[in-house]
Amino acid sequence: MFDRDLWSEIFNSIKKNKLRTFLTGFSVAWGIFILVLLLGSVKGLQNGFAKEFNDDASNSIFIFASTTTKPYGGFDAGRRIILKNKDIEYIKGSFEGSFEYISGRFNKFLPIKHNKEKATFPIRAVHPDHQFIEKTIINKGRFLTQQDLDSRAKVVVLGKKVVEELFKEEEALGNTVEINGYIYTVVGVFSDEGNEREERNVYVPITTFQMIYGNTDQLAQILLTYNPKFSLAEAINFSEVLEELFKRRLIIDPEDQGAIYLNNKAEQFSDVSNFTFILSIMSISIGVLILIAGIVGIGNILVFIIKERTKEIGIRKALGARPSQVIKLVILESVFITSIAGLGGMLFGSGLLALLGPLIDSPGFSNPSVDMLTIIIATIILVISGLLAGLIPAINAANVKPIVALRAD
Amino acid sequence: MLKINKLHKSYPIGDSSLHVLKGIDLSVESGEMVAIMGSSGSGKSTLLNIIGMLDEADEGEYILDNVPIKNLTEKKAAIYRNKFLGFIFQSFNLINYKNAIENVALPLYYQGLKRKERLEKGLFHLEKVGLKDWAHHLPNELSGGQKQRVAIARALAANPKLLLADEPTGALDTKTSYEIMEFIQSLNDEGKTILMVTHEEDIANMCKRIVRLKDGVIMEDTFVEQVRASQYV
Repeated sequence: MFDRDLWSEIFNSIKKNKLRTFLTGFSVAWGIFILVLLLGSVKGLQNGFAKEFNDDASNSIFIFASTTTKPYGGFDAGRRIILKNKDIEYIKGSFEGSFEYISGRFNKFLPIKHNKEKATFPIRAVHPDHQFIEKTIINKGRFLTQQDLDSRAKVVVLGKKVVEELFKEEEALGNTVEINGYIYTVVGVFSDEGNEREERNVYVPITTFQMIYGNTDQLAQILLTYNPKFSLAEAINFSEVLEELFKRRLIIDPEDQGAIYLNNKAEQFSDVSNFTFILSIMSISIGVLILIAGIVGIGNILVFIIKERTKEIGIRKALGARPSQVIKLVILESVFITSIAGLGGMLFGSGLLALLGPLIDSPGFSNPSVDMLTIIIATIILVISGLLAGLIPAINAANVKPIVALRAD
Repeated sequence: MLKINKLHKSYPIGDSSLHVLKGIDLSVESGEMVAIMGSSGSGKSTLLNIIGMLDEADEGEYILDNVPIKNLTEKKAAIYRNKFLGFIFQSFNLINYKNAIENVALPLYYQGLKRKERLEKGLFHLEKVGLKDWAHHLPNELSGGQKQRVAIARALAANPKLLLADEPTGALDTKTSYEIMEFIQSLNDEGKTILMVTHEEDIANMCKRIVRLKDGVIMEDTFVEQVRASQYV
């Protein structure tokens, strides 16, 4: 295998037959190149999906209330269901350990003023836990605290885009904004991994808004994250139990699909992971099929080459080459060409991805790339391909009868 | 040196078979120079191929240098060929992408010699055939006579017991043929045993013994007065 003379024989025959070496290598290089691009693209899709889903914590459950669609418990259909503060207390009391974070939320669209700048933004009145459920990233200052809620403080946390529009060059932190005549102090500025739309939100303590706008205890939604240690099945089971109990608590027909709605990320997430998994399996299969085409191509070219070299092999055998030496020569040549060509295709493909990947960042497709493991597997596949491609031609070569090969032409 | 008893060989042709060698008895002593003659189809090339272990007899006995040659595996045949035999072909059969010295050194590669040693020996034999200065030329840069001399150097490289030549001058003009024959005679003078197939009377007369084949049997086996090629050169 590491016989220097054997290798110099191989290098010689490659060097002296450039065109056929190129033809042989090109098909493999092409196959590997496509395989790398395919795998990179799937990775890009996965990254893209992961990014989209990063908007919110991946273990979040959102509870929305609407109107009943079925009469139940003495009530007509069409009754408005309203979630309240005490529903949160109920979950906190009943599901200790099943949830991680919990927050109520309701939204208002109100004009926000700072000096002469004025614009309307969605304002979310929330609990402090909301930061973790929405995966809000605090850039400056802090998020809302329990203290803010207890004292019904007039404080706001502004999204990056809101700050840009209202404050321009001015420092927002510690400054004030005016919402419907009330002055609020800016205690934090945030960004969000999900998308820019998130950064146009404004957060205020839920107690402050409940007091100012109607002195109520009403909520539009309850957001929570389930225990991250839950398996997918446990998570789905948890949200089903929650739904059932809420229907009983709020006197809703268990069959009513419209009155209350639980949006469990676990279910969506499992769908998407399934999707990208199937996609990667598919792309690997396609890549391997292309590679097989490459191998068959090489085998084909090698068979032809052996035919062309019949005389040479006959001469070698007449001079004392053993069949095993002939086989070694042909197979090593094939492995060498496939490996080098494949490596070239792989470097070209992963180089292209490394170069262009980081520039690609659109929704659903971001930073296509290949990892080390893929490259190692591809290399192993290459060597095996070379062996397979060389096998039949090598056996053909070993079977060349010198007497036939040497017949004077 | 070489002993053949009742050698038979036939080739299948369609449903029937062609009986090419019909019981050949031949023995050659060390240092002989034998020409095997015959018209085409007489079986002379088949005989040479069997002697050269490129083909196997159906029946009969073949002993080379006291080693019975029978039931050869490909591997064994390769080793025997490498050890005992040197081939000279009508169409030279040089490997066209290897230069002269690489061609000459090839049998030594299959003997497992180190590269340095191979090239030294190769150069020695090239010098012997007078082509030392052409060592690094490719076959297509050489004339027919030069090619055949490279082929002879290659046949000599492994220091074989027996040189087999199949129409060694068949592809050469008369003048070059005689030059090659002069060289082959000088090898025989040094003690090499040489067996050659030819259909040219003048070439055969430059050997010491002529075996005439016809329809698969030996018609005539005579020792002749060797004509020295040097007088024509």
